[in-house]
Amino acid sequence: MVRFKNRYVLCEVVSEEPRCRRCIEDRTLGLAVRDAIARVHGDYGLACCSISFTVKYLNAYTGTVLLRCRKDSYRLLCSALPFVRYLESRAQRYPCFLNTLHVGGTVRTCQKFLIQYNRTQLLRLLQNCTNEEERQCIQKSLLSCSLTEEQSQSGDEEEEDGTE
Amino acid sequence: AAAFERRVLRCAAEHHYLRVRLELPDGGARPNAAQFKQLVVTALRELHGEVGAALPVDVLTYEEKTLSAILRVISSGLVKLWSALTLLGFYQNRRCAFRVLQTSPFLLALSGNSRELVL
Repeated sequence: MVRFKNRYVLCEVVSEEPRCRRCIEDRTLGLAVRDAIARVHGDYGLACCSISFTVKYLNAYTGTVLLRCRKDSYRLLCSALPFVRYLESRAQRYPCFLNTLHVGGTVRTCQKFLIQYNRTQLLRLLQNCTNEEERQCIQKSLLSCSLTEEQSQSGDEEEEDGTE
Repeated sequence: AAAFERRVLRCAAEHHYLRVRLELPDGGARPNAAQFKQLVVTALRELHGEVGAALPVDVLTYEEKTLSAILRVISSGLVKLWSALTLLGFYQNRRCAFRVLQTSPFLLALSGNSRELVL
């Protein structure tokens, strides 16, 4: 049938400064992405991509961002993401870049990908541990995360995988 | 049985040519060729961003007296160029407008204009 199809772009914010995590907000990120699209694709590109553009999901701890746009203009959006060089908030500018992880048609496929990706990232973190303390720490936090422990955080499926 | 092959070429020409005229209603200084090209690239940059400004556009001829020029653009960029020229409103804070007189994928076709034909 006839409906509006969206594309969901999953990216992660990579920055060298640890203070950048604090200023990752949906509004600042949305403004930064729109500004980049306006620079790269002009007024026409900005208007095209802004039709159904929102920051659907944001996680400041891991720097995961989920952006939504129309299917007709997702290529404009994806090509403008490498031009986001810094995030600006409260008169502070932090250099960073956006890594595109996955482009999906629904939030559910992006969520499935994110769970898989986080699993591999945790394993890689474990491998790259330098001393025994960090290793113990990560192992403990991995074993302690479970879906039924805290009812209020049961919505955070994207981060911790339930039955590990 | 003879084997044959059918080839269909849609829009095979790689460049499109446009004859345009810039209208500057107030009698001020006229742009020279470099400023004219700068104006075209500025128009593309405003509407289509850096990607549009990087479009390979050439000014083949330019007459400062009549402010008319022949532009050449890659065929895939014709829509971007034409829309950018249409929506350009100002040159150095003076009102201006682009009129597209002729367009064709062949340069030779721009030499004759059936609109100004006097029978």
